[in-house]
Amino acid sequence: MIKSEEKITTTQAIVIVTNFILATGILTLPRTSVEKVKTPDVWITVILGGLIMIIAAIIMVKLSQQYPGKTFYQYSQEILGIWIGRFLSILIICYFITVSGFQVRSMAEVTNFFLLESTPLWAITMPFMWIGLYLVFGGINTIARMFEIIFPITLFFFILVLFMSFKLFEIDNLRPVLGDGITPVLKGIPATILAYTGPEIMLLLVAFMQQPSKAVKVVIIGTVIPMIFYVFLVVMVIGALSIEGVVVRTWPSIDLIRSFEMSGLIFERYESILLVIWIMQIFASFVISYYAASLGLAQLFRIKFNKIGFILLPIIYIIAMSSNNINELFKLGNMIGNSMWFLFLGLPLFLLLFTKLRGAKS
Amino acid sequence: MKKNISGKLALITLQVLLLPFLTGCWSSHEIEEVSLEIGIALDKGYLSSIDKEFEEQDGGYQKNNNITITFQTVNTKGIGNNSKGGGSSEQHSYLNVSETGDSTFQIVREIPLRRDHPIIGHHLKVIIISEELASNYSIKDLLDSYLRDNDIRPSCLVLISKGRASNALETNVIGEIPSFRLTKMVENGYRSNKILPAMPLAKLTGKIQSESSFLLQNVISADGEVKLTGAAVIKGKTNKVVGFLNEEELEGITWINGKVKGGVVKSSVKGQIIAYEIKSMKSKILPHINSGDITFEIKIETEGRLSENWVNRGKPSDNKFLREIEKSIEAEIKSLMENVVQKMQNDLEVDVAGFGNKLKIKHPKVWKEVKKDDWDVTFSKLPIKYNVEVTVADYGAVSSD
Repeated sequence: MIKSEEKITTTQAIVIVTNFILATGILTLPRTSVEKVKTPDVWITVILGGLIMIIAAIIMVKLSQQYPGKTFYQYSQEILGIWIGRFLSILIICYFITVSGFQVRSMAEVTNFFLLESTPLWAITMPFMWIGLYLVFGGINTIARMFEIIFPITLFFFILVLFMSFKLFEIDNLRPVLGDGITPVLKGIPATILAYTGPEIMLLLVAFMQQPSKAVKVVIIGTVIPMIFYVFLVVMVIGALSIEGVVVRTWPSIDLIRSFEMSGLIFERYESILLVIWIMQIFASFVISYYAASLGLAQLFRIKFNKIGFILLPIIYIIAMSSNNINELFKLGNMIGNSMWFLFLGLPLFLLLFTKLRGAKS
Repeated sequence: MKKNISGKLALITLQVLLLPFLTGCWSSHEIEEVSLEIGIALDKGYLSSIDKEFEEQDGGYQKNNNITITFQTVNTKGIGNNSKGGGSSEQHSYLNVSETGDSTFQIVREIPLRRDHPIIGHHLKVIIISEELASNYSIKDLLDSYLRDNDIRPSCLVLISKGRASNALETNVIGEIPSFRLTKMVENGYRSNKILPAMPLAKLTGKIQSESSFLLQNVISADGEVKLTGAAVIKGKTNKVVGFLNEEELEGITWINGKVKGGVVKSSVKGQIIAYEIKSMKSKILPHINSGDITFEIKIETEGRLSENWVNRGKPSDNKFLREIEKSIEAEIKSLMENVVQKMQNDLEVDVAGFGNKLKIKHPKVWKEVKKDDWDVTFSKLPIKYNVEVTVADYGAVSSD
């Protein structure tokens, strides 16, 4: 069903999951989570959010492993019949389309604010989307190889730049630990979920893996890498800006990098380099969700894959441009985060139980 | 074959068509055509004679003249002249431009009406606010446009000036840029304990939002010279300047909150001067709660060197004399702290030394209760104990006199 040259290795699968997770969340996670938690214990929330995501991802993997070689779009019809299966697939396709539109717009918004002030949004988004389309045509294997290049560069620079902000770090900003008890920490978990969108790609990725049995390992490692990174990020940002400061900054992570200058090194300021690298990361997220949506439509309606790519391009653009202001964009982000609970925790769990029960009967 | 040629042609056409996309920045401005602002001084509104003349000729817009902002920009023309080595080397390497109005952002955008080069904020290093302005307006409002800006970086420092802030942006030394001088001076904390840790906009945001009182370094100026002297006290509830700490009081603060990186304690033994150089110090504020009553204990341990000794026949190689010196320095440090605590509690009724923060960290539940009332007021009635331990580790290259 899937040609052998289309198959990806375990490492490639890990890189895809990690790259999908690390995207827009990096820039806003410290603020969105502190807004809800309101204590310096956000880092605990981030860890808990990651653990929940790992559990959800394992459920998705277990479900996919029941139907080797098939993607969610194919096996959902097997489980619940053609019509319900198609309906659920379309929901998930809509989700992926929305995610890619959201990524494009956040990229454009941040680039417009910090880097290219009077360049119109369309001029920023269009080349980005065209190149994305080109990569999607290459198929999952090409995408995976591209991500293998992006992944080490971005992670290395992110962590390097975070270390540089150490001069601003004050441990008192992170204390007291659990001063208000555990309740605020738990309250913040939903806010972190948007930052963890990504493992849902496993619904289709397992079918492409050379060794599907290792898929659980993939999601665990693939989610733990971003989790460690997020904890580090949240700790550094709050340590420098304090929780009162983080809440009022629209892009706290960039502000952290803008808050210091390193004289004597090749560059004095690192926000531009960070943003450029971050765009690669967003690009990865955009491409993979674009691919997931195109693949879904192609499999569902038996249309040629390349055609679907062209049809989706304007739709994603319209979704990206549908937010009239930054508040609507953030609202869209929250919507995506909230839909995760149903689409990628509730639904796969239900399907898995359904499959198991039916299997037991027959 | 034919197909091959047309394919090549299409490829070449595509390449040519793509060329225009490679021209680079869409919205770039040449660096020679903009003015880089490096320092800003915010003062109470005053109209210069030129301003008045402009207004007489109907040049102006609907505004109150509340705030005068002085922008310091790098004088690129001056630098060009200097390199030629001509007689124009007398020129300063900076330019100050003032504009008056009521909205800080509107004021920046008035500059293009008066100068050929608009001002851009990417390289802003320091903002100085005059006491007169900061005691009438909240610094949260005064700094809002700078915190919001996408060009101005949160690494920009904030200082308060007891006199006219724009005077701190003047110098008589040719080639020196006052804004850069100020930012370098703030970094001198390793040589003196009368300098507060730098307060960039990034850190200030949290302080402004936290509703607890804090300090900003004070800078005074006279005849092109500047001096960092003491600190301005900003009340957390209003974010306005309510008073000042002088140099000695600031020293007390840095002892209490442990932000000392270096510096000197001057004291006396038998009426003669001795000076102690701080090599290391550790400070702990310990909040205690006994049946609902809050007390604080400050514990300080410091190690250093006897760097100056005027005492006749005082032999530092003698442990007894060394102990005497330590006692005297301990007493001096204690009196520095008592002095500033007395000022905080009785005169200003603020806590700017971080007592509240320590209480929050050690006893979050108690803090939640006391936070409901004005902490600054609660604090001013709390008893504080001091515990200073000085070790003179060595006495330099001279062992006896």
